[in-house]
Amino acid sequence: MAVVETSSPGAAPKTSLGRAAEERRTAWFLTAPALLLMVVILLAPVVIAGVLSFTNYSLGNTGFDWIGTRNYERLFTRSTYEKMFVATLTYVVTVVPISVGLGLGAALLINSLGRFRELYKTIYFLPVMATLLAMAIAWEFMLHPSIGMINRTLEMGCGTVLETVWPFMANGCAERFPVWLGDKRYAIWVICFIGIWQGFGFNMVLYLAGLTSVHRELYHAAEMDGAKSGWDRFRLVTWPALGPTTVFVVTITCIRAFQVFDTIEAFWPQGGGPNKSTYVMMFAIFEKGVQQNLIGIGSAITMLFLAFVMFLTLIQRWLVERKVHY
Amino acid sequence: MAELSIANVTKRFGETEVLKGVSLDIADGEFVSLVGPSGCGKSTLLRIIAGLEAQSSGDIRIGGQSVAGHRAADRNLSMVFQSYALYPHLSVGENIAVPLKMRRLNGLQRLPVVGRLMPGARAMADEIGQDVEHAAQMLEIAHLLDRKPGQLSGGQRQRVALGRALVREPSAFLLDEPLSNLDAKLRVQTRAEIAQLHRRLAATFIYVTHDQVEAMTMSDRIAVMMGGRILQCASPEVVYDDPDRIEVAEFIGSPKINILPVEVDEDGQLVLAGRLLDLALPGRGKGVASLGLRPEALRLAGEQAPLRGHVVHSENLGSEMFVQIELQDQAQRVTLRATPHQRRALGLGAAVGLDFEAGNALIFDADGARVRTVAKVGLSKAEVA
Repeated sequence: MAVVETSSPGAAPKTSLGRAAEERRTAWFLTAPALLLMVVILLAPVVIAGVLSFTNYSLGNTGFDWIGTRNYERLFTRSTYEKMFVATLTYVVTVVPISVGLGLGAALLINSLGRFRELYKTIYFLPVMATLLAMAIAWEFMLHPSIGMINRTLEMGCGTVLETVWPFMANGCAERFPVWLGDKRYAIWVICFIGIWQGFGFNMVLYLAGLTSVHRELYHAAEMDGAKSGWDRFRLVTWPALGPTTVFVVTITCIRAFQVFDTIEAFWPQGGGPNKSTYVMMFAIFEKGVQQNLIGIGSAITMLFLAFVMFLTLIQRWLVERKVHY
Repeated sequence: MAELSIANVTKRFGETEVLKGVSLDIADGEFVSLVGPSGCGKSTLLRIIAGLEAQSSGDIRIGGQSVAGHRAADRNLSMVFQSYALYPHLSVGENIAVPLKMRRLNGLQRLPVVGRLMPGARAMADEIGQDVEHAAQMLEIAHLLDRKPGQLSGGQRQRVALGRALVREPSAFLLDEPLSNLDAKLRVQTRAEIAQLHRRLAATFIYVTHDQVEAMTMSDRIAVMMGGRILQCASPEVVYDDPDRIEVAEFIGSPKINILPVEVDEDGQLVLAGRLLDLALPGRGKGVASLGLRPEALRLAGEQAPLRGHVVHSENLGSEMFVQIELQDQAQRVTLRATPHQRRALGLGAAVGLDFEAGNALIFDADGARVRTVAKVGLSKAEVA
């Protein structure tokens, strides 16, 4: 230690200053490993991707050229990327509200049950636990246009009253039922359906946890105040109490929806669906950055993806702080 | 405003019978407290009156009309909950307005955003605003109307809960331990305010509490409940001075009444620890009984006093003093109320004699029922015997 303790009164502040500096050094020393790891494995990749998005780098090349914002310009001008945005947003806008709504509905129904709660919870949670890649293969078999279970089942409806009341059925019986995965009109909706089927159980579990925190006496107060219908009680008590849960569920579901990849990779390993109708962002990153080794454009899509997710997270922070905590 | 009558109400939760046939008539404008230890069924009874719980049998009539089968929302009662149960997302003003909105606006007018555009909604909203303002002024919370419950202190939340209850004119107010979450000082203050509010509104109040002081200070009548039954329902003075049962005498009064075991001899005369007392129970044979003496019924006396012991603990409250005295040859303590200037004679360990007026003694038989026919006998005969 550089500072020697002396008995003179003037030296006292010097000593404590020296000690503070020493403590600061120790603190930095102790946090350095964690900081280093954080920078190396979390921040540096993002920064590198950001830098590479302004280049035409390919893996294996010794050098690269700076091409400015040309990667980003391409993203916003080429029709492939337009399809990417359409597919991604269609998926997000469809899957998020429906899987959040179904999750909430299932949670409310299960919560009102006296018996078989655990059973229902387990059943709805099954798809969440399943590996989506394996499930995608099962779905592929079921959706096969001629031997698949779904079209076989639909064919059973031919010649019945269904044919007269349901135009889709009539069309299918007259000509043929949809090719599902091979038809650009249906492909993205099939992906959405599987996304909802797979994801809403998770939202249900989060909502069930949220429902346990709703104060029971509030329902009694609502009843005394004249809230007679279930809808009134939901509006007055349940929905506001679930505010924090809803913000979390919506954010998580949004991020998961932006990340959809497994089913598309399983159904269409080459190309992202019929006429690129299911060419979602994650698949685009994979195709450009990994399959075609175009690191520059892959990085640009990644940055855009990060921007979306960051934007959602910021909205969530704002909502959490301003609106839903009372 | 209306009278309320409870006829032979029972409540069973599975095997356990929580209410064992409770009957009670409450007059219009009366303040009745349901008081008893926890688990005595008082809150259950209140919730049955409110309609939040269904009785197993029996009938409730409000204003002469049976409300069997009417749900809570249709009974026109207001309730203040122990936890206040304020809607956390609504401001104080909106909280107080909820019962009015739910009753005066239809489903369309209550819709968010578009509800305001519905015909008549604006005029109704103004009217509700005025009523809320009026209620807030009565409770002196007008300056808090824009705040959220989370920003209020316990006492303020309590007022908001009261405001929500009194903003419309219900048949009766039900209060479920509304003061138990307040600190001691605020509780005393709010107690007085609720009592004043009752006088001002002249409405029927049913007040549940486990605190006998609250019941004593606020009510017109107290219903003492124990084990799912009402043991006695009478004015605070009667319940205190003239209890029907030993449980009532023990529950009401702080510090607790002194209960001493006594024997009844062949002539019906009472024997306390081998000494004859100047009290007799005419027409009773040999047996045991209990002698109840309020701390203020005891007084210091000399050597010849019927009770003797020594001081083991004393609490000086300033205006009065409670002294615990361990009785000789009985291994039992009694509490004496003394005035602070008697302190000198009541030092720790001091030997004291205690006496009481025969008229202040409450006698209970072996089953705990009050014995009201007590005769005073001459002590000269007793001393000879």
